[in-house]
Amino acid sequence: MTPDAPASAPVPEAAPVSAPGAPLPGVPSPGAPSPSAPASPRAQDLWRRWRGVLGVLAFMVVLAALTALVTQPRPGGYLDPEATTPGGAHALARLLRDQGVEVRPARTVDEARELAAPDSLLLVTRTEFLAAGWLMDDLATVPGDRLLVEPVTQALQSLAPGLGAGALTDVEPRAPGCALPAAVKAGTAVTGGVSYNAPSGATSCYGGGVIRYTDGGRTVTVLGSGEFMSNRRLAEEGDAALAMNLAGTRPVVVWLAPTFPQAGPADGETSLADLIPPGVTWAAVQLLAAVVLVALWRVRRLGPVVAERLPVVVRAAETAEGRGRLYRSRGARDRAAAALRAAALDRIVPRLGLAGDVTPAGVVAAVAMRTGQDAQQAGAVLYGAAPGDDAGLVALARHLDALERQVRDS
Amino acid sequence: MALTGRTGLLAAVSALAVLFAPQPGAAVLGLLLLLAALVTVDLLLAGSVRPLRLERAGERRVRLGDSVEMVLTVENPGRRRVRGRVRDAWPPSARARPAEQPLDVPAGERRRIVTTLAPLRRGDRESAGVTVRSVGPLGLAARQGSHAVPWTVRVLPPFLSRTHLPAKLSRLRELEGRNPVLIRGQGTEFDSLREYVAGDDVRSIDWRATARRSDVVVRTWRPERDRRVLIVLDTSRTSAGRVGLDPASGDPSGWPRLDWSMDAALLLAALAARAGDRVDFLAHDRAVRAWVPGASRTELLSVLVNAMAPMEAELVEADSEGMVTAIMSRAAHRCLVVLLTDLNPASLEEGLLPVLPQLASRHLVLLAAVSDPRVAAMAEGRDTLEQVYDAAAAEHLRGERRRMTSRLRRHGVEVVDALPDQLAPALADAYLALKAAGRL
Repeated sequence: MTPDAPASAPVPEAAPVSAPGAPLPGVPSPGAPSPSAPASPRAQDLWRRWRGVLGVLAFMVVLAALTALVTQPRPGGYLDPEATTPGGAHALARLLRDQGVEVRPARTVDEARELAAPDSLLLVTRTEFLAAGWLMDDLATVPGDRLLVEPVTQALQSLAPGLGAGALTDVEPRAPGCALPAAVKAGTAVTGGVSYNAPSGATSCYGGGVIRYTDGGRTVTVLGSGEFMSNRRLAEEGDAALAMNLAGTRPVVVWLAPTFPQAGPADGETSLADLIPPGVTWAAVQLLAAVVLVALWRVRRLGPVVAERLPVVVRAAETAEGRGRLYRSRGARDRAAAALRAAALDRIVPRLGLAGDVTPAGVVAAVAMRTGQDAQQAGAVLYGAAPGDDAGLVALARHLDALERQVRDS
Repeated sequence: MALTGRTGLLAAVSALAVLFAPQPGAAVLGLLLLLAALVTVDLLLAGSVRPLRLERAGERRVRLGDSVEMVLTVENPGRRRVRGRVRDAWPPSARARPAEQPLDVPAGERRRIVTTLAPLRRGDRESAGVTVRSVGPLGLAARQGSHAVPWTVRVLPPFLSRTHLPAKLSRLRELEGRNPVLIRGQGTEFDSLREYVAGDDVRSIDWRATARRSDVVVRTWRPERDRRVLIVLDTSRTSAGRVGLDPASGDPSGWPRLDWSMDAALLLAALAARAGDRVDFLAHDRAVRAWVPGASRTELLSVLVNAMAPMEAELVEADSEGMVTAIMSRAAHRCLVVLLTDLNPASLEEGLLPVLPQLASRHLVLLAAVSDPRVAAMAEGRDTLEQVYDAAAAEHLRGERRRMTSRLRRHGVEVVDALPDQLAPALADAYLALKAAGRL
């Protein structure tokens, strides 16, 4: 706290023995560049500081990319006309095209509606992705015949009204067992899956696995299992023939094979607020009132805050510490060395039994005699030039310590 | 007034009722009105705080480092029971525990509330009032009020160095010749003549008396008595610096130099009073802060700690000229002036040194200063470059102090420069040495 005396170099009691040309205290020698501490961080420091953040960012990017990659809709889905995987139906689409049937793959309901024509056949797979009711209603407006593959209940209700799902049967080679020409011509085929209860006037083949009936001028065919249309099974039994007979009845096939759950605008949907009963809103108001009451409880202090005049807290050593930092930041080795030497001399000289006004040469001689050290060496330690670098300063401090110890112990 | 947590809880629970009510809007309004009515009733039924009679008893003084119990008697003259909480508020540095406590006073009765203070700092601590919160029978709302119950606890200097007093007193007894060791000083006073016994210093043989009688006669001596010691405490900015370790709180930022100086002053005063000297005390920065002239031997310590207790270091430069004038006007006869200050070369050079000859010409001056153990520790550092630079800075500071010490000694001033916990015994030893040498 005390503004100290101006930082003058502590001059030892005796004038230093300095060789000609030795640096004067306080004047930086030209040979020793004063070290400056760069304030801006190095690239290494920056890397060390930011690598954690960068690592986390990189991890997040990789994770996002992986997620996008995994969840991306890809051809290859079940009964996809463009998929060449065992579950896909590229082979069937190819066969249909070879036979002059135009196959128009569609991914969404809107797409399917655009592609459809009055004389087209709408082939719908993966109806579980079309679960929203309004999608089914949209789909029901698409003109032309329908071929539904493994429809879910909701699709069944919208697109094949009057048909009810029955028991689940094994998918295995079966005989047609009906008079449907397409089935009879194909013969045995791998069918099964969901067996349907046919309404009156409908044709039920393969034990209910294939149902065809006419509804409002259009032919609706429902398949309990689309397995026989897949690339894997198409070559077995009469699968190819059955598939061709069922899907190739019209010159155009609109093949709707959605690859991800379809969603759309929530027009006409009720908003979240409409769904919340009024009691909940008012209960929230009540809870808000409760929060205010709790706040009033907590905010009321038991008596006023007691203020106190605090004494100033100043550590007395701050002056010395500040001076040490100043020496360090300016690289004031000469002043530091002078201070250390002066202190060592103040302790050594009385121990040697010398008077205060003894000359440096006298001190060096006495030290050399007492410790048996080389006089020149002792002189360099006690009165030599200021150290040229920081390592020299540390070494000087230790030499002074050693010398002092020798004088004390001798 | 004040609400309790129960009110909030009740409001929260009634939200459930609102959830299932047929008309939730009306339910909210009704429930809140009901709650308000309950709170009002509770407030009306709660015991009144205003007519409470509070009385305080307990210590008015405590030594720093000790704790003291403050007893508060709460009397309830009203017709309703007062139940709730009470807080006996004190400044933070008084460390009042517990901060608040339960209170239950039936109508017409009284209860004792005990709050323990363990002060952290020296000085006067004033009660900041007592606050009572009286909760109604439903526990929903409370009346709250504060009473001013004035009381001041003076926290006295701890006088830690009293542990050194017995040892110093036995040294004093050696000087006084009550112990069998005989010490003969140059300036000690002639007491009486007695027969020589083996072991007496032959130099003390009084040959003239021996010639008159057939026996060998020696002179006996006793140390001077009834000398004057004036302890001067510097309360200027240099005394605010903190050194060592705060013995009361263990605060590593340290204890002000002023407190260490007080500790040393108390030991010296106790010793000097026991030695039969007259002790005066002066505290000064730019003006006289305290002046305790020649208190009687029995009262001296209590008068001194009382004068020291409220003293704080002022953040102003010391007015040494004014201090010397104050000393000269108060001490007409030669005395030992013990100056408790800092050996800060900058402030001493400009302040004390020019006026010192004037003071030293009439009085014997002893300057006592606290040195900083942190600086001493810094001077030992050799491990890293930073430590060596710090060591150089510390050595520079110590060198300045040494040079200032030798300059002062050339002026005939005795100097005691010691670490905080060694200052008091060192100062006592210096006093005893002066006494033994008969320089008082």
